[in-house]
Amino acid sequence: MTSKISTIAARLDKLYEFDREPVSPDKLQSGSKFAGLFAGEHVAATEFVIGAFFVLHGVTARDLVVGLLLGNLLAVLSWTFVCAPMAVRTRLTLYWYLRRIAGPGLTAIYNIANAVLYCILAGAMIAVSATAIGLAFNIKTPSLTDVFPTSVGWVLITISLGAAFTALAILGFEKLSKFAEVCSPWIFIVFIAGALATLPKLGVSPNFSNFWEVAKSQIWNGIAAEGQQKFGFWHILFFAWFCNLAMHIGLSDLAIFRYAKKWTYGLYTAFGMYPGHMLAWICSGIMVAGIGREMNPGLMAYEALGLAGVAGLMLAGWTTANPTLYRAGLALQTITPNWPRWKITLVAGTVTTVISCFPVVFLKLLDYVAIYGLVLMPIGAVVFAEHWILPKLKIEQYRAEKDNRLINGRALAVWVGTLVICFFLPIHLYFRWLPGYFIALVSYVLLQALGRNRK
Amino acid sequence: MERKILALLAIVSLALCLIFPVVRFLGKIDAAGYKSGFFCASAAWFIFAALWITRPKKNN
Repeated sequence: MTSKISTIAARLDKLYEFDREPVSPDKLQSGSKFAGLFAGEHVAATEFVIGAFFVLHGVTARDLVVGLLLGNLLAVLSWTFVCAPMAVRTRLTLYWYLRRIAGPGLTAIYNIANAVLYCILAGAMIAVSATAIGLAFNIKTPSLTDVFPTSVGWVLITISLGAAFTALAILGFEKLSKFAEVCSPWIFIVFIAGALATLPKLGVSPNFSNFWEVAKSQIWNGIAAEGQQKFGFWHILFFAWFCNLAMHIGLSDLAIFRYAKKWTYGLYTAFGMYPGHMLAWICSGIMVAGIGREMNPGLMAYEALGLAGVAGLMLAGWTTANPTLYRAGLALQTITPNWPRWKITLVAGTVTTVISCFPVVFLKLLDYVAIYGLVLMPIGAVVFAEHWILPKLKIEQYRAEKDNRLINGRALAVWVGTLVICFFLPIHLYFRWLPGYFIALVSYVLLQALGRNRK
Repeated sequence: MERKILALLAIVSLALCLIFPVVRFLGKIDAAGYKSGFFCASAAWFIFAALWITRPKKNN
C-alpha cells in the first residue's frame, strides 16, 4: 500500500512539475486581471439552482439580502486574510506547499479526494443543464425528493449531455476555454435579463416603487415549500461564506493568489462574490417565483428568456463542467500511468455522466456544497497552523519534508478526526465547518507541540 | 474586419441583451418581442465576441 501511494505521489509530482518553482516577480499580475478572473468564475449553472432553493427554503427578503451581504463579505475577507497573505509569501500552489507539510502521500490522497468531489460537482452541472433539454422532449424534471433517476428519458438526456460535454473536453481545453471567456459576461446578463423580464409577471410596477413589497410577499415570503427545511438569516450567511470554502479557507486558491502583487488583492474576490453569489442568486430567486416555485431550472430559464435562456443554462453548465472535468482528469492521471489525455478525460467524463443521472446531485446541491467544503477544510487548517502558528510557538516547520516522510500522520489524524467530530456535531450541517476548523487548528498545533516535546 | 470594430460591435450586442429586458420591464414590448430581440442580440454577441478574441493583435 505504502509503495503504491509512493508511486502515485511520484507521478503527481511529475504532472505538476511545471509549477513547482515559486512564481517569479516578472510573472505577477495586475489587480484588474484578478477582478476579471473572479467576475467570470462565479456565475455558473448552479447559480440557477442555489438562488431558487433559497426561495423554496422559505427565506425572508430581509434575511436574504443581509445574509448575502455579510456572508459574501466574510468570504471576501477569508480570501484576503487567510488565503492571499500565505500565497504572496510562499508563491506556491497548495499542491506543492501541502507536499512540504503533509508529505507526498497525503497530498496524493487529498488530490484524488478532490477529483472525486469535482466529478460530483460537474455531475450536478450536467443535471441542471439536462432540465433545459428535458423541456424540448417533454420529459418530466425529477421532483425535490427524488434520489434515483426518474425515467428512461432523464437517463438518456443526462447521458447524451454528459457524452457531449466529455467529447468537447477531449477536443481540447485551451481552445474551449477561450470560448468560455466569451460566454461568461453573457451568462451574467442572462441572470439579470431573466429576473428583469419576470418582475412584471409578479406585479412589480415599471417605476420599481412596489418592488420590496412584492419581494416580501411573492418571492422571499418566508414560507418554505413542502418538505423543505425553513432557512433563516444564519443559514444564508453561512452558505454564502462556505460556498467556496475549499478555495479560501481550504486554500485551493493559493494557485491563483501566488500571482498577486500584494495580499490585498484578495479583496478583488468581491468582483466575483457580489455579482455572482449575490445578484445572480437574487435573480434566480425571482425567476423561480415566476414559475410558481417549481424547482425546474430549464423551465425557469425558458419562461424568463425563451430559447436564449435554454442556451444560457446549457452554456453555464458546460463552461463550468468543462474545467471541472479537466481538473478531475488531471488528478486521475496519477493512477493511470501512460494513458493519453483523451482516455483519462473519458474516464472522468464517464464517472461524471453516471453521477449526473442521479437527480439527487442537483436537488441536494446546497448540502453537497456544504459537504464539499467541509471535507477539504481540515487540510486548510493544517496548512494555516503550520505556516503561521508553529513559528510563533517556535515549533519546527515542515517536519514531513525534512524527515522525508510519505505521510504526515498527525495531519492525516487531524483530517480524519475533524471530519468524524463534525459528523457528530449536534448542529446544522452548514454551521459545522466553523467549529471543525478550530478543532483542526488546535488539535494539529497540540499534536505538533507534543511531538516536539517527545523529540 | 478591424479588431477594434469587432470589439465595439460585441459590446453593443451585449448592451442590447440588457436593453431588451429593460424595455420589457417598462412594458414597451411584449414577451415574444423581448425574447426574439434577446435571442438575436445574444447571437450577435457570440459572433462578434468570438471573432474579436480569436483575431490576432497587430504588432506595432
